[in-house]
Amino acid sequence: MSILETFRPTQALEPRVAGPIRKNGRGTALKRDEQNVNTRFVAFSAVVSLSLAGGLAKADDTSANLRLQTFGTEAQLGAVKHAVARFNEKYPNVKVEIAIDPISNGWGDYVTHVLAQFTAGNAYDVYGTAIETFRTFEARNLFLPLDDYIAKNPSYADFDPALFKYSSYEGKTYFVPIGWNNIMINCNRALFKDAGVEEPKDWTWNQFREIAKKLTKRDANGNVLQYGYEVPNQNFFVQPWFLTNGTSPLNADWTASNMLDPKVAETLQFLHDLIHVDKVSPIPGKDTMDNQFMAGQVAMISRGRWILANVEKAKIDLDISDVPSKVTGNTVIGFGGYAVSKTSKYPEIAKELIGALTSEQTQKEEADLGGSVPGRKSAAETASYLAFPPSAPLYYASLPHTVPVPSPANFQEVEKIFIRNYIAMMADEISIADGVKRTDQELNESFKRLAAQQGK
Amino acid sequence: MPAGAPSRLTAAKDGISAMRAAAARPASQLRRAQALAGYGFIAPSFALYLVFVLAPVVVTFILSFTYYDPMAGSRWVGFDNFLRFFTEDRSLQIFWNTLRFTLFAVTGNICVGMGLALALDRAMPATLLYFFRLAFFLPVIIAAAFVSIVWGFFYGDDLGVINYYLSRIGVSPVHWLTSSRNAMASIVVMDVWKNAGFFMVIFIAALQGVPKPLTEAAIMDGASYWRRFFKIVLPWISPVVFFAIVYASIGALQVYESIWILTRGGPGDATRSMSIYIVEEAFDNFEIGYAASVAVVMTIVILIITALQMLASRHWVRA
Repeated sequence: MSILETFRPTQALEPRVAGPIRKNGRGTALKRDEQNVNTRFVAFSAVVSLSLAGGLAKADDTSANLRLQTFGTEAQLGAVKHAVARFNEKYPNVKVEIAIDPISNGWGDYVTHVLAQFTAGNAYDVYGTAIETFRTFEARNLFLPLDDYIAKNPSYADFDPALFKYSSYEGKTYFVPIGWNNIMINCNRALFKDAGVEEPKDWTWNQFREIAKKLTKRDANGNVLQYGYEVPNQNFFVQPWFLTNGTSPLNADWTASNMLDPKVAETLQFLHDLIHVDKVSPIPGKDTMDNQFMAGQVAMISRGRWILANVEKAKIDLDISDVPSKVTGNTVIGFGGYAVSKTSKYPEIAKELIGALTSEQTQKEEADLGGSVPGRKSAAETASYLAFPPSAPLYYASLPHTVPVPSPANFQEVEKIFIRNYIAMMADEISIADGVKRTDQELNESFKRLAAQQGK
Repeated sequence: MPAGAPSRLTAAKDGISAMRAAAARPASQLRRAQALAGYGFIAPSFALYLVFVLAPVVVTFILSFTYYDPMAGSRWVGFDNFLRFFTEDRSLQIFWNTLRFTLFAVTGNICVGMGLALALDRAMPATLLYFFRLAFFLPVIIAAAFVSIVWGFFYGDDLGVINYYLSRIGVSPVHWLTSSRNAMASIVVMDVWKNAGFFMVIFIAALQGVPKPLTEAAIMDGASYWRRFFKIVLPWISPVVFFAIVYASIGALQVYESIWILTRGGPGDATRSMSIYIVEEAFDNFEIGYAASVAVVMTIVILIITALQMLASRHWVRA
């Protein structure tokens, strides 16, 4: 018998393994004598581990087949695979099947896909998803609360508490955060230098406007050679403009429209004027202007940290800045999280898998890929993370001033209604006054339908 | 003829009767066997048709009267979905967009396709002929993803190719895709560029089937090119033209790709088609019952338009 196998009694007392604990109900409350035994074994195992000078990982002989459905790119899949490999060091008999969705058709498509899996009785054990879908899934009661698991893992103190707060619904936490993105103003420093404009700090809407004008270049015929800013064409990117004006298109609990708030119209008018009065931005179309930004044809864009990989490839001298303020300095945040399916046969092992997927090592690896800001602060303090852009600490520093992207259970419809009317207003197809009224009406009809569907 | 011997005529009659009687039995069995074999042959395709065409149509029709939740199942709502479609300003605009696109895209595809076919249906060096045919047909086989990149580059507001050349001749830039006044026309132009080559090929085949003696006789009588085209060629190929119009109309009424790749239905709803609307309602908003009702309306519209074209064809299509 190996040394590792000797320690199996310890693990049997730990409320980790799904099968036996579920049968005898010991997962929720261990008896005091068991806890004492448990403590002694843990202490003993720690001493032995240290004496082996390598800290050998405890292997667990639990057998299970887990299925993980998550999202992301091939690069992110690499980090997930590495996390699963580390998980398998501890659970060699747990087979993990990974499915990854690139979200090429938007979150609506992903939600449909996941709901179909549940309807067909073919749900995965662990789901990775984004805040845009949280309420849709939570309202359908598809996932297990993870509060106990989170409370048992002190390492989650490394996450900003706000992330867990945003992952909660009706007092229970259903998601362990992965990484997050907040919208900042991304500035091409070379274009700033060319225009003789200083890099912004603590700026206001009006200062932003003046800077955008200076950064817009035209030829002798008046044709634009370089835009100062891109008025966004995506819901997530445009939200900070409302937040900095102390408003939002939806009410605070995301149950009704707030479009008739005069500050909403004021914000839309400001963005409209950037296009049609100051002419520092083109009319937003169906495509974002990432390519133009990478080509040095746009000086500022509203994006998150995910663009860094492409920025480095394009050799853009980039730095980030807070969103210009008017009433507040708030910006928007969106993030991903892992959840355990209610139908999982191995919920405890599934939680352990989430532990591996959100470990410090995994988060550091994901941060190095240049994607989201890692949920763990420790992963956002590494030298590689802080190397680029120069103001990289600003991502995490701005977290206390973030507000989650409004994500009601009918998020897909709400987002489409808002962005369709927003684009029409920006394109001068409809006046701001009529546009906010029409959007308000459509949003409220959508919420009425949602309430009827939920039997409210 | 010996007494009592049957006459030749009687013998022949008896023989024929006997042969008929003998033939009748096997023939009936043969027919049955042939019928069974026939049913056997069509059974697989009929089963596929049943499962993949008929059943979805029936299910869609039933769903159109329900509110369907992927998790909770369906709930009967009567005509509420149809009522919503016919009372919402938005859906009526989308319906009108689809009809508008159909009218212009069908006209453009048929006219340009015919023009190209006429241009190539003449004596020219084979290399040149094949070059032109390939050049005009190539857009048909190019993937929509490439097409969207190329045309997006053409139509760009400030950095687009068309506006660049317009600015060179002193014309102000045009908002090709970001203005509702131009967006639909821009999409139609791209659709015609992409699909006219298909109709060109069909029309070239039809033109080559026009009997030469007819056109040669008209030439001898001094008829001009266009007189020959309208009085002889067009009437002769009218069944093919009719097929092309019906085919193009059905395709245009279901338009999705051309619009999606250029404008995503925007700005606002200015270019959104019914197909895009159905997909968005069903798979983004989870309004599957409502989307089914829009699909039913669209099917009925396609049937009505096709029926009207069939009726009109009696007056101009060669029997």
